[in-house]
Amino acid sequence: MWFKSVFLKSLRDYRVAILGWGIGMGLVIVSPMASVSELVKTPEARAALLSLAASFSWNADAVKADTIGGYATFKIGIFIFLMAVWPILAGSRMLRGEEDRASLDVLLSAPQGRVRVALEKLAATWAALFAMAVLIGILAYLGGVVFKADFTLVDALLFGLNLALICAVFGAVALFISQFTHERGPAAGWTAGLLLIFIVLDMVHRVIPNTDWISRLSPIYYYNLSKPLIVGYGANLGAMLFLLALALILSGAAILLFARRDVGDTVTLPRMMRLPSRPPAPRALPVGDWSLRSVYARSLGVIAMPTFWWALLVAGWAGWIVVVVKQIEAKLGALFSGSPVLQDLLKNLSGGNSDFNASFLGAMFGILPIFLMAFAVTQVNRWASDESDGRLDLVLSAPRSRARVLLGRFAALSTAAVVIGLAALVATLVASSVVGVSLNTANVVAATLTLVPMGLLVAAIGFLAAGWLRTAADTGLVSFLLAAWFFISFVGPELKLPEATLRLSAFYYYGTPLLHGVQLANLAVLVAVGAAALVLGTLRFARKDIAV
Amino acid sequence: MTAPIIEVERLTKSYGGKRGIVDVSLEVGEGEVFGFLGPNGAGKTTTIRILMALLRADAGRARIAGLDCWEKSIDVKRLIGYVPGEPSLDPNLTGGQILEYFANLRGGVDQSYLKKLVDRFDLDTSRKFRQYSTGNKRKVVLIQAFMHRPRVLVLDEPTSGLDPLNQQEFDAMVREARDEGHTVFFSSHVLSEVEKTCSRIGIIREGRLVRVGGIHELAEIKRYEITITFAQPVPAESFASLEGVTSAEPLNNGAGVRLAVQGPADAVIKAAARYPVVSLTSVEPSLEDTFLRFYEADGHSSKEVAGVV
Repeated sequence: MWFKSVFLKSLRDYRVAILGWGIGMGLVIVSPMASVSELVKTPEARAALLSLAASFSWNADAVKADTIGGYATFKIGIFIFLMAVWPILAGSRMLRGEEDRASLDVLLSAPQGRVRVALEKLAATWAALFAMAVLIGILAYLGGVVFKADFTLVDALLFGLNLALICAVFGAVALFISQFTHERGPAAGWTAGLLLIFIVLDMVHRVIPNTDWISRLSPIYYYNLSKPLIVGYGANLGAMLFLLALALILSGAAILLFARRDVGDTVTLPRMMRLPSRPPAPRALPVGDWSLRSVYARSLGVIAMPTFWWALLVAGWAGWIVVVVKQIEAKLGALFSGSPVLQDLLKNLSGGNSDFNASFLGAMFGILPIFLMAFAVTQVNRWASDESDGRLDLVLSAPRSRARVLLGRFAALSTAAVVIGLAALVATLVASSVVGVSLNTANVVAATLTLVPMGLLVAAIGFLAAGWLRTAADTGLVSFLLAAWFFISFVGPELKLPEATLRLSAFYYYGTPLLHGVQLANLAVLVAVGAAALVLGTLRFARKDIAV
Repeated sequence: MTAPIIEVERLTKSYGGKRGIVDVSLEVGEGEVFGFLGPNGAGKTTTIRILMALLRADAGRARIAGLDCWEKSIDVKRLIGYVPGEPSLDPNLTGGQILEYFANLRGGVDQSYLKKLVDRFDLDTSRKFRQYSTGNKRKVVLIQAFMHRPRVLVLDEPTSGLDPLNQQEFDAMVREARDEGHTVFFSSHVLSEVEKTCSRIGIIREGRLVRVGGIHELAEIKRYEITITFAQPVPAESFASLEGVTSAEPLNNGAGVRLAVQGPADAVIKAAARYPVVSLTSVEPSLEDTFLRFYEADGHSSKEVAGVV
């Protein structure tokens, strides 16, 4: 059945994403619902929550933020960037990704027009989005039932539909841009950049009065006009139709461009719109590029750009939370003292500190390793896929030991991790001195530089697992491990998990260095486990069949 | 055969429960050009990847220059230039960057020789690997295999995707390598190129080596076709039972016969001499046809699986 048409085959390819992304995003919507009753337990706490929400209006409109639907809508406001990840990837991969793999040549050799093939693929992507929307809607509704919300199943499904429409818009943007790029990566990157710009544009009117006209330039503005989970606010049909029309126009334009261009090439822009062409790469040999000197240098060259962006993200987060803690300490302090649940949560995150500022900073810095560990997961994925795609075959045909190749890659990753840690350190110190937050320098150094062993631990485990697992399974395993550690450390204490279980999480050993400095024994455990995984991974790699 | 530089003894490899190669044994002399033939999935790439220490054999051993390919893999790889069957390289590097990277990993690459190879293949080294055609990708990989003048070249279907002109250039490079005393071990399923360059060949089928021999020895098992036209009808069946005749087909209402013959044609000539012969033509099949016969049907291999010719 699934191989009867391009539509069905493409839909089949999305089956894991539909379930994974649909359920995952559904849980993201439901999770804030759990804490509302505790956050509004007392009139003071309710007032503090409303006040806090108002001061966070840059994030989302604070409409009925003291109700379950209102709080959930407010809380996931900024998370639109998370929701849009899948459609951006799917949109950039839909045609350009297949061209990258040369699989579109074969598909287009079948007696079907290009437009039809593209339309069937687009229909499959949209069907997947709407299946996810239904899942998200049902989960939101079930969450509402459990936590006694007042919105209906229709409201929840409309919420899912609105989400699917904005996702369809960004998928269409990625599809459109991919007609102008040679690879899918840049198309996804440009669309992600546009997404950030549109998020900022949408924020403008909530922060600066009389700037609605600016925000109207962003599709997210129209997405936010509908708030179906808030009873009495509802969905804005006009805005939803606008999003649908936008997605249709962009997708239609992309498909028309695709039908007229060469497969494997890009749309030819008019001369005046073309970027100045780069000087051709030198034909003379040797090229003399520093990154070609060794496996280490080459690996470093490959991850230089991702390292820059991750460093920017980690440093940005570190600096931002220092700035934010200064700005919102009064309002958050009231909420903190009025909400036992928030107190417990922050204590879990910050290692039991009862002072609000310290707790908040400790908690936010506790999340920092996740970024570096996520970066490590991407590098594990790259290592495993290099092997399975045969890109290591020629490298291993050179007279270098396998151990040297693996350790060269790991050394490059370690260098990148140190750079990211240093960027976080500098950003924190600069931000604290600019806004006047007093921090213990030694502890800041500890909090930022101990990120490095956290990231390398994940990488070492991923490299070890790659000795047996294929790319998807390896990446899935380390991602799951990361999620499990997060759950154990940040939710586990609430569930009264035993100490032995808490010790299974890497976050336990990271501790709260910003507040309490480095615990050398814990750091030694991290380093020892990471080193053991690296040694075992190297031994395994030295003996395994390559790309089997 | 000169003293062996490649020695493969009872090499066996399986992938889980699936067959890879079984009991493969062969030797390749130094300075020899050895063609490793077989259809897709026969085990050519598995054998080559074991020689390159990318796979570990379940049983048996492989040695190059007396060094165990697995235990002494680094020393072995110093001697080898390798072309993988499906070259996969960083798509964002230019051809020039790829060649420089591998020259750095190997060390000791003569830059002037490398430039000569680039010129010989007329490769534009300024383009990114992903922008190359299949043939140009193959050129990059071939150049990196030859650039350090290796003592042994291990090439997995090296001419796949090359145009005829570049195939000729490759043939010339293989001959030059042979003339300089280097050894070439390459897999192929194109017999014409093997015929042109190899001194010996091995044929692998379903993971087992079914033939190893000199190119001329293998020619002896070729089946050729003789067509005889007579001045009068003759009984075709009287030719069918002759020694070496594998099939006889009557032509021209019995006044002719087309025979498939293996081995000496003496019996056929003597039998034909009993009748008035108008014309006689003999067509020697290419190795292609011979090769195809090895694989034409399952269950017909018992005659061929006789070992070394």
